[in-house]
Amino acid sequence: MPDSSAIDAGLVALLQADAQLASLMPDGVYMDIAPPGLQRYVIVSLVIAEDRATFEGRAIEDCLYLVKAVMLTTSGATGIKEAAARIDALLEDRPVVADGYHWMGGYREERVRYVEIDETDSTIRWQHRGGRYRVQMTPTPTSTLTTKG
Amino acid sequence: MILTGRDGQVLWDPAGVTPGTPVLIVSINNFKLSLKRNMIDVSCFGDVNRVYVPGLKDVSGSVAGFWNSEDTALVEAADMDTPGLLKLVPHAAEPTYFWSGLAYMDADIDTSVDGAPALSGTFSGGGPWVREPIVP
Repeated sequence: MPDSSAIDAGLVALLQADAQLASLMPDGVYMDIAPPGLQRYVIVSLVIAEDRATFEGRAIEDCLYLVKAVMLTTSGATGIKEAAARIDALLEDRPVVADGYHWMGGYREERVRYVEIDETDSTIRWQHRGGRYRVQMTPTPTSTLTTKG
Repeated sequence: MILTGRDGQVLWDPAGVTPGTPVLIVSINNFKLSLKRNMIDVSCFGDVNRVYVPGLKDVSGSVAGFWNSEDTALVEAADMDTPGLLKLVPHAAEPTYFWSGLAYMDADIDTSVDGAPALSGTFSGGGPWVREPIVP
């Protein structure tokens, strides 16, 4: 059975490889938490992942990811709107490549947009914009059969 | 022995001969076999309750899973006018325990926007069925 983390890595790699998104959010793409000190970046978090089985083994990994651009408002930069739109263009019905899996489908389920007040400096605002994206992957037949021996 | 239901098997041979060479249908995650007998009411005057005698045993059921374009055996079976050989194994680790026999199949495909296309079908006996192993 393939490593489910390959789906996370494939999603992050897809976002990292896009020059347009990189120009809008130049500090990078990260799983869960970005390193301190960054001001414009993309966060990918796994919200929930459900497996669906057949008699041969795991057949579908149905994952919901939160994917959002995060930007420090006081940086003076713009682009949160464009970054969210670019994330959507990259993930809506676009294949994610992951070792040991075939991509089945991907689409946005919910839009996300909110402003966060910085915990240490209440004059600082963080903008968050993106969405919750469903990514459905199926292990390749070889991967499934290997597990079952 | 009680085992998990995760490792069942549904096998099919469209040639419809026994013992045949049934082949695993992939992407199936459920089967149900009904062996109910119809009961004939033979209640008479004076009986204190209804009395029945068993009639013929039914052989029917269903299979279900996901549509997989790499294995279209089930939908092809639905097009057949002659019965194929169906074999149902509750657990792959005990392959000598199974039910099999000739059956007519049909198929349903259920596709929704937020899920994987589901494939299911029902079957009806098309000839004699056996249960293996036969335990006296």
